Amino acid sequence: MTAGMARNGDGVAVPATRRTSLWQTALAKFARDRAGLVGLTVVALYLLVAIGVWFGWWATEWADITGAKWAPVSAQHWFGTNIIGQDIFQRGLYSTATAFEVGLVVAVLVVVLGGLLGATSGFLAGSWVDEIVLWTMGVVDAVPFYLMVAAIAFALADYPYAMHVAMISTFWTTTGRFVRGEVIKLRGLEFVEAARALGVGQAAIVLRHVLPNTLHILLVQMTLCFVDAIKAEVVLSFLGLGVKDGMSWGLMISESTLEFLAGHFNNLVAASLLMFGLVYAFNMFADALQDALDPKRVA
Amino acid sequence: MAGVADEPLLSVRDLAIEFDTLDGPVRAVDGVSFDLRCGETVGLVGESGCGKTVTGLSLLRLVPEPPGRYAGGSIRFGGRELLALPEAELRALRGRDVAMVFQEPMTALNPVFTIGSQLTEVLRRHRGLGRREARVQALALLERVHIPEAARRLDEYPHQLSGGQRQRVMIAMALSCGPRLLVADEPTTALDVTTQAEVLAEIRRLQGELGMAMILVTHDLGVVAETCARAIVMYCGVIVETNATAALFAQPRHPYTLGLLQSVPRVRETRLAELPVIPGRVPDLRSLPPGCRFADRCPRVSERCRAEEPALTPIAGGGQVACHHPQP
Amino acid sequence: MDVLQFALRKLLAGVPLLVGVTLLSFTLMVYFGPDKTYELLGKNSTAAQIAEVRHELGYDRPFFVRYAEYLRELATLDFGHSDSTGAKVSTLLARSIPVSLALELPGFVLGNLLGLALALTAAFHRGRWPDKLIMGVAVVGMSVSFLIVIFAFQIWFCTSHGLNWFPVRGWSAAGPLDYLAHIAVPTLATVFVALGYNTRFYRAVIVEEMGRDHVRTARAFGTPPLRLLWRNILKNCAIPIVTRVMFTIPSIVIGGALLIETAFGIPGVGRVTYEAIISGDQPVLKAVVGLTASLFVLTLLVTDILYRAVDPRVSLQ
Repeated sequence: MTAGMARNGDGVAVPATRRTSLWQTALAKFARDRAGLVGLTVVALYLLVAIGVWFGWWATEWADITGAKWAPVSAQHWFGTNIIGQDIFQRGLYSTATAFEVGLVVAVLVVVLGGLLGATSGFLAGSWVDEIVLWTMGVVDAVPFYLMVAAIAFALADYPYAMHVAMISTFWTTTGRFVRGEVIKLRGLEFVEAARALGVGQAAIVLRHVLPNTLHILLVQMTLCFVDAIKAEVVLSFLGLGVKDGMSWGLMISESTLEFLAGHFNNLVAASLLMFGLVYAFNMFADALQDALDPKRVA
Repeated sequence: MAGVADEPLLSVRDLAIEFDTLDGPVRAVDGVSFDLRCGETVGLVGESGCGKTVTGLSLLRLVPEPPGRYAGGSIRFGGRELLALPEAELRALRGRDVAMVFQEPMTALNPVFTIGSQLTEVLRRHRGLGRREARVQALALLERVHIPEAARRLDEYPHQLSGGQRQRVMIAMALSCGPRLLVADEPTTALDVTTQAEVLAEIRRLQGELGMAMILVTHDLGVVAETCARAIVMYCGVIVETNATAALFAQPRHPYTLGLLQSVPRVRETRLAELPVIPGRVPDLRSLPPGCRFADRCPRVSERCRAEEPALTPIAGGGQVACHHPQP
Repeated sequence: MDVLQFALRKLLAGVPLLVGVTLLSFTLMVYFGPDKTYELLGKNSTAAQIAEVRHELGYDRPFFVRYAEYLRELATLDFGHSDSTGAKVSTLLARSIPVSLALELPGFVLGNLLGLALALTAAFHRGRWPDKLIMGVAVVGMSVSFLIVIFAFQIWFCTSHGLNWFPVRGWSAAGPLDYLAHIAVPTLATVFVALGYNTRFYRAVIVEEMGRDHVRTARAFGTPPLRLLWRNILKNCAIPIVTRVMFTIPSIVIGGALLIETAFGIPGVGRVTYEAIISGDQPVLKAVVGLTASLFVLTLLVTDILYRAVDPRVSLQ
């Protein structure tokens, strides 16, 4: 807005109040975002499904052959059965838990890695540490994602988490760049200068004063990363580089390639819709979160 | 000119402009009325957020819509109602009849085109000049606003010029089609002090030479005193006082105007530490008090001020003030 | 002269990055890559036999000697023979890369142009229904997996379960009609997925530019909308747009081709790569990884130099 109405008040930024007011207004904004709330609710429902799987409340027979080959939709098999007679509904539910496992592990570790490296290089911008981090980011970004994953899968031979490692080691650069940029901005602000003048150590400044002020970036990056991880899992599982044991939507979809040319779509449709529902809801949630946390965005 | 002397060049009546915010619509300008005759200079003064910039932008109908909205009133310019004018006619008017100079010389010019290209574009559009002719004119304009080495500057990009020079280019551009009204929004605020004085003198000189009317939007009363014949003081979206500049400075009637005048540092007379400050804060436009908007900060406040909003009424000596208890 | 110096300096600055990507692909693909010793020997072999085979394969040479060897391979484009087919890797690539380009280029160009057009439409109707509709559909595009789109379109357009208009698998560019029939569905799938991301990105860039002061200045001087769009918005957005196009080339070409060519049975570089991944064909993989990464770095450098032509703000420093 050009009117300068947002500049009411005395405009002196004190970090503590700045931080709380950012989160307060973000919460207020988010609470009014209908699409975001719907997204969050749907994600919560999916999470509930995943929790049920982890505790063994449902989807316990996902690996058993419980019916005939390609049984149609029925009260017993809600989504029918697959090529060898396993229940597609149970497999779909079980895969939800896998999706959350992959998404959460990758998102959390990416944010930790990207946040730490980004903050360090931003805080030491211009030094050799910064140069090395920037160089690493450039190198990682230069290798196409799927090739990087294939390469890491080879290097790690049959390690079951090769896919996770691969995603983390490629996804972190985006978070890293964002955090680095923000920290370079923060570094020049008064409260950081003040802390430095008071003789607070560099590590303490980064951890206690700078990183907390990048939390909004980390949160948004985490949601985006979660979505990316779930989508990448599908492709990697299809390529044979994904989930090693257990079941996932990606494995269901690659299984369905044996079925759909013969006219059996249940597996493909079930996995696609379940995955689309979660990713779409998460995208809406992530969007609302970005809107709420970005002070520049006016509704 | 004699025939239209009765009708003012610009006539703003009960102008109201709203902005949509998360907490519902907010009135940034709430019932502003004023007139401007040909060749007259008026200063629009107030703190940031008082609605002066929005008022200035509305004179070219440039308030961004959405989130902004013209909620009522009228703006008549040269006998035409601007708020009812179709977009194509507005475009023909902008830059030709009404021109604007903006606050930020650093960002107001397009960084990827040369100065010459941006100047000639306006000349060719509004005055129908050919390419070569427009370039000759552009050069003359740059020389007119005293840009050194004008011929070379034509082929340079904005980032190669200093802030003061860029603002001179803006002024040259604004004057290129001989507008009848110039709206200058804080034209010197972003410049350093010596440049400020030079640019201001330039504006004053050109205004006199061309005989155009001018509205100077500023928070700086000193600038108004040097440049404008009349001043309009705004507070929280309304006009609180208007008068000839000399009268306003000699005898401010609204307590807010008095406060503004007292907080202008006079280097030789007062030390900065003793500078009086208006106590309190500007109220939030989203939750205005029912009565006078200045009541909470006013030393002369009474019960009536909190209940009833004062209207702008004529006072002895030619001005108008919106106050139940004006300064004697 | 200035530009030449600038280009040289940029190229020099790109050397560490080039070293980095080659080092990374070497370490992952070659040094820690698939070990052929046991494939060649079988289960019960003596330590002496193992040592002999490792020596033959060159596994016992020091790290940097092997890295230098890899650099030489990259520079001369001589990667030896494929493990699985025995064909020369360079011949394999020379045959498959043109196919991939012919397949991917239309979708890539269309995806960007359409994305830009939709983004402009959305940005100019910001906050109103065309904007909401376009952006809503864009999120759908972003939320569907590329793989699912490929399968769905394949079933819909290419099988008797749907319209059955186009061939389901294979490749032929014998005539223009033949070519179009084979790229139609892959292109549709590419565009569908690319549109989601492109539209959102372009809209964000355009909206940001529309909010700048110089756009307001131009409006204040009566600039008509189309001229505003060209002179004040698109010209100023050139850098982020060019950067994005350049940045997405490798992921589209390799990532996109990988899935599309596999699903449609098209003999492009993506399918060659897929088969190499499946069978652990190291000579092919090290060639693809090393070449794409190096080409990516070079593309970025060229982009950087090109900026000079697009934007006077980028100085020669």
